[in-house]
Amino acid sequence: MPNPSMTGQWTDQAVLADTASIAAGELQRAATATDGGRYPLDILGALGRAGAMGVHLDRHGTRFGLAIAAMEASSRACGATGFLMWCQDVCGLYMEQSGNPALIGAALDRHAAGQSFGGTAMSNPMKTFAGIEKMLLRARRVPGGYSVSGALPWVSHIAPGQYCGAVATVLDGNGDRSHDVMFLLRFDGRATLRQCPHFSGMEGTSTWGVQLDEFFVGADDMIADPVQPFVKRIRAAFILLQTGMGLGVAGGSIDAMAGIEDQLGHVNQFLCDRPDELDGEFAELRARVMRLAGSPYDGSTDYLIEVLDARAEVAEFSLRAAQSSLLHHGARGYLTAAAPQRRMREAQFVAIVTPAIKHLRWEIARLSREILPQMDAAA
Amino acid sequence: MIEPTDGRGAWLQFLCRACGLIYDEALGDEDSGLPPGTRFADISDDWVCPLCGVTKADFEPYTPQQRAPAASGTIPAQRGAGIVIVGAGLAGWSTAAAIRALDGSVPITMVTACAGDVYNKPELSVALARGVSPEAMRRETGAAAAERLGIRLRSETVAVSLQPTRHVLRTSRGPLPYTNLVLAQGSRPAVLPGLPADLCWRINNLGAWTGLHRALSSGPRSVAIVGAGMVGCELAEDLARAGHRVTLLSATARPLQPLLPTPAAQRLAGNLATLGIEFRANTVVTDVVRIAPDALELRTADGATLAVGVVVSAVGLVTEDRMVRSAGLDFRHGIVVDPTTLRTSAADVYALGDCASIGGVACRFIEPIARQAEAIAHDLLGRTHAGYVHAAPVIRLKTKSTPLVIHGIPTPNGDWRTLEDTAERLRMEQWDGNVLQARLAA
Repeated sequence: MPNPSMTGQWTDQAVLADTASIAAGELQRAATATDGGRYPLDILGALGRAGAMGVHLDRHGTRFGLAIAAMEASSRACGATGFLMWCQDVCGLYMEQSGNPALIGAALDRHAAGQSFGGTAMSNPMKTFAGIEKMLLRARRVPGGYSVSGALPWVSHIAPGQYCGAVATVLDGNGDRSHDVMFLLRFDGRATLRQCPHFSGMEGTSTWGVQLDEFFVGADDMIADPVQPFVKRIRAAFILLQTGMGLGVAGGSIDAMAGIEDQLGHVNQFLCDRPDELDGEFAELRARVMRLAGSPYDGSTDYLIEVLDARAEVAEFSLRAAQSSLLHHGARGYLTAAAPQRRMREAQFVAIVTPAIKHLRWEIARLSREILPQMDAAA
Repeated sequence: MIEPTDGRGAWLQFLCRACGLIYDEALGDEDSGLPPGTRFADISDDWVCPLCGVTKADFEPYTPQQRAPAASGTIPAQRGAGIVIVGAGLAGWSTAAAIRALDGSVPITMVTACAGDVYNKPELSVALARGVSPEAMRRETGAAAAERLGIRLRSETVAVSLQPTRHVLRTSRGPLPYTNLVLAQGSRPAVLPGLPADLCWRINNLGAWTGLHRALSSGPRSVAIVGAGMVGCELAEDLARAGHRVTLLSATARPLQPLLPTPAAQRLAGNLATLGIEFRANTVVTDVVRIAPDALELRTADGATLAVGVVVSAVGLVTEDRMVRSAGLDFRHGIVVDPTTLRTSAADVYALGDCASIGGVACRFIEPIARQAEAIAHDLLGRTHAGYVHAAPVIRLKTKSTPLVIHGIPTPNGDWRTLEDTAERLRMEQWDGNVLQARLAA
């Protein structure tokens, strides 16, 4: 297979233009079906060819601003597809940052170009690292790697033949926690995929419950061992990329409000959060995100707090914009298949997907706390 | 609800670690065919969570968590955006009181990362010898002070970012719109790489002091104080008077240099030595490590080590700059303010106290704060006021062995002249050419 690494063709301009064209065409047409349950792998393939899910990688210039802009352009048409792009983006990030030769060669080239697909099972680990939950997957050392068991309730952008990044706590011989490891979990038939309960929207994200029972992970699939330094390095980038979804949902909402002005402007003038007001706020917020996108691997706590806050602001803003867009459209926006109605659910998703608004604020508070000696150790 | 009759105690609850569903033995789970009163232990191992499908092994015993403490004791109904004050130290409370004195109804919200309790910060460096308890240090709880002044207190809340054009302060409990914002966030102790935050105490607020108080409550301990500035010297004397064995490590040859001229520094050093304080001059601490559950070891640049029970770092103060810099406010060793109005470079945003800087110099003294608060209260309410007049504050060192007062600000190149140097008294003046810069009395 020819190397699909296409930095030369994936110029900023070409990626944005091709993504916008896909968004305005097939993506827009498929949005209702995607919301209802159709998994848009074909469209993701097209977005991959366009470079929309590869340009944040170091091998393609670490262009986070461009990756966010592409995700935003898609999410204007369909938030669920924007979310799938984020899943694909961060999975690519895990593979590249792992430095594992088995993950950074042709496998990553295919992934970056949307020729193979994989997501992320990091919701539980991220919350565990923040002190909110306990780790669900447990591993023990076996010859040549680890044996992993446990269950994850909902993992998106996975399917037979696909993969995702996952974390397990390694237990020593006494059953005590030793450390955490991160690996590429391959859905090659050994893991059980369980149907999830019905969600209120974004059903086409191929989200499954995952059950592992003595699942062997070898050296070729190891992403990080131990995981903590790795997660510390990628954490801000992981969170920052999500802003593309929220910006797109908000931007799509504002566009839709402006689009109906000719018909309903005479009554819509009495609403709060009018499109021109929101537009100014949107531009300021987008500029904030783009500034942060210039240094995704700045490892400082100050930078991470800025990213967490920008991500929270994007979520809060997309909720407001989607709500206002629905009010601007009235009954026609309240139809089940109407875009304003769909964007309400998409904005709610942006607000609750890990890290949710409350997790972001929890983490900001945690990172801001003064560190002092432990009383018990000092006494 | 049925009562347990199986002799196995009260009904228990079990939490699905994956999705948070709670299996309640009293209720059972009809969907899985488990009647009310089915003990979790009696459920077959292939049972799965009725919500997310993970296995029985992914459940754990559930006891409801304690509720988070309320973010505030007093939340009067919101009455418009109003004035927002960031920080509940002396500067924050002084501003709230000054505004209230002029206007009984304008809405005021105070945002603070701590509980907002009112205490007198200078006492922190002299309270151990006096045997003051943390409870006695607290003059009033934040909630009581908020109620007294009729303000809304958002305690345990971090000010995260500032959007001056939109007049919004973003906090860890959501965004807050403001008509006027007063930054009174103080300064914080510098943390040097060789003095890890989790091993070395830094005393700049009541919470940290309470921790140190507890660490020293079990009896006399050996304490290393790193840094012989004002805070380091005051704490050294306070701890020594409280019965602890104190070593004061200084990067300079004598304490409080370069502020003090040599005769004054020598006098101070001599008096500290009389109290049993060992002064280690020209010593740079490069690392602190724990060597036993109750012992730390300091390592210094000259290769020496020192084992102690407690380490206090007093190496200076810095102003938190992330929020104001990312909001685009002018910042020079502090938030740049107009010396008369205390307005910052952003519209309707003021700053005072330790976080503000005038003429490029941060002003970390108590005395100006009340006058600054007065000036801000008048300016933001549109009342006539002559404005704040900045003057060099009087520096008083609270070392009982060597009570030391400096009027004026000594310059690095000035010429110190001794007017009187007896066992009882030292008087000096610093001249820079024909200009009297400072007067010192000890």
